[in-house]
Amino acid sequence: MSVFSSQEQAEKVFERLFSILAADENFTGRLRDSRLSLRLNHSKPDVELNISADGVRIGPDPSGAKPSITISFSCDSAHKLWLGQLLVPVALATGKMRIRGGVSKVLEIVPLLQPAFDQYPAIAAEAGLPV
Amino acid sequence: MSDLGDTWEEPTYTTLPAPVEELRERVRAFAQEQIVPRAAALDQAPADELEWDLIKQGHDLGLTRLIIPRQYGGLGYGMFGLAVALEEIAAADAGIALVFGATLLGQAPVLLSGDPEVQERWLPMFNTDEPVLACNAVTEELAGCDLLIPENAVHAREVMSAQRKGEGYILNGRKRFITNAKVARYASVYANLGDAPGATALTGFLVPLDSPGITRGPVADKMGYRGCLGSELVFEDVEVPAENVVGGEGGGVHINVQQMNMARAAVAAISTGIAAGAFAIAKKWAGERIQGGTELWRHQFSARKLAEMSAKVDAARLLYRKAAYITDNELPTPPYEPAVAKLFADRIAIEVAEEAMSLMGARGYLKEYGVERYVRNALGTRIYEGSPEVLALAVTDALYAEDDF
Repeated sequence: MSVFSSQEQAEKVFERLFSILAADENFTGRLRDSRLSLRLNHSKPDVELNISADGVRIGPDPSGAKPSITISFSCDSAHKLWLGQLLVPVALATGKMRIRGGVSKVLEIVPLLQPAFDQYPAIAAEAGLPV
Repeated sequence: MSDLGDTWEEPTYTTLPAPVEELRERVRAFAQEQIVPRAAALDQAPADELEWDLIKQGHDLGLTRLIIPRQYGGLGYGMFGLAVALEEIAAADAGIALVFGATLLGQAPVLLSGDPEVQERWLPMFNTDEPVLACNAVTEELAGCDLLIPENAVHAREVMSAQRKGEGYILNGRKRFITNAKVARYASVYANLGDAPGATALTGFLVPLDSPGITRGPVADKMGYRGCLGSELVFEDVEVPAENVVGGEGGGVHINVQQMNMARAAVAAISTGIAAGAFAIAKKWAGERIQGGTELWRHQFSARKLAEMSAKVDAARLLYRKAAYITDNELPTPPYEPAVAKLFADRIAIEVAEEAMSLMGARGYLKEYGVERYVRNALGTRIYEGSPEVLALAVTDALYAEDDF
């Protein structure tokens, strides 16, 4: 059973996490300068986030634009990843995560996500999730 | 264009992206003009001799940092560019190609770590005037494939050990048949942590090879691939700080498998280069040799051989390029395409080299005509980065695998 009680809870938690990032001009500026965009396809429950220099959107991008990078993983894997309990190389190697898009772009976006690792424990605890 | 490297649309079957085609032409010129004239001497030199001048020239072309992102002083060509370059080198000499291929293997865990701090510490060193090489230390006396196949890990015997000490670790053990070990700046090393059975807690470490307690053993006298050096590494109470762990404690098998998947396209390119080099010699011979009043290639049986050889080389090339492109655009590197590419390229390298030797008759058996060297080199490709048996397991595992999300 997922740590998330519902799709709504998962949407709220992840949208809040990435909205904090999107409010950081350093983050959005880097995305804009490098023309990067990110799609997070969560499963169990299904939550799709689209992140670009223009902000964070829950659900499919109506423009149909193809993101630079797509990360697919379950909500539980995402929860553990952002808590630092699941390392990216291990998640990739054990089939818990898949990333599509230029590997060079992936390497560029990873350091930009560090604030997510920093912010998530507090966000998760506030939502009543196990940390 | 990203500062980290080029990205390009999926290549067509016949046209490389312009930057990669330019790279291929530069590397081909280097291989044909600098390596080919010295290849016979390289092959017949004592086992422990390395043509540092050729390594330096390859380094100056960027061959030690093709896959490193530009952010860290690399050239950002990715696996696709590296593989295309290695085919050209291997067509001239497989050993020289493997010097750069083995360096990639040492760089791969750093790239796979996904940790910018690790990458900042270990990748810029390749952007220097003098060549810096790396190596990958996996194989041991009693463990080869046992360290590549997770299901075998519990059965691995006397695996190199890593014990926790304070904030770091102590490594003890021996690694064998390590290409570049004699000359590399650092090694990615795999050791079993603590008292876990077999290799079930295999952990990856980045270890500078000038660390106290490390001995670089004598160079092995190989049948082929004599342009590179393979030797033993001995670790006696070698201290490694915690920051040098890659993939976390016990995550070594995952990094190792990812590393293999990532590198196999490049290794398949080396096999393809061997086949292409042998075929080029045979094609030239069959175009000049007169028997029965006409060139050899006009005789039907010879024509059939040449056609099969050409088809095999082209097919192997397409497979490794497809695998390399996928490697650059998907994480984890899907195991299927690289394993298929290497499985096929390794086999046809032997077939094409043998057929080339056969076409040349007695001259194919003489060292001075060069083709017998390709036969010896082709036989070596099946040994590293996955034997045919291991590759077959990787292919079938991939055919039946499912994502866990």
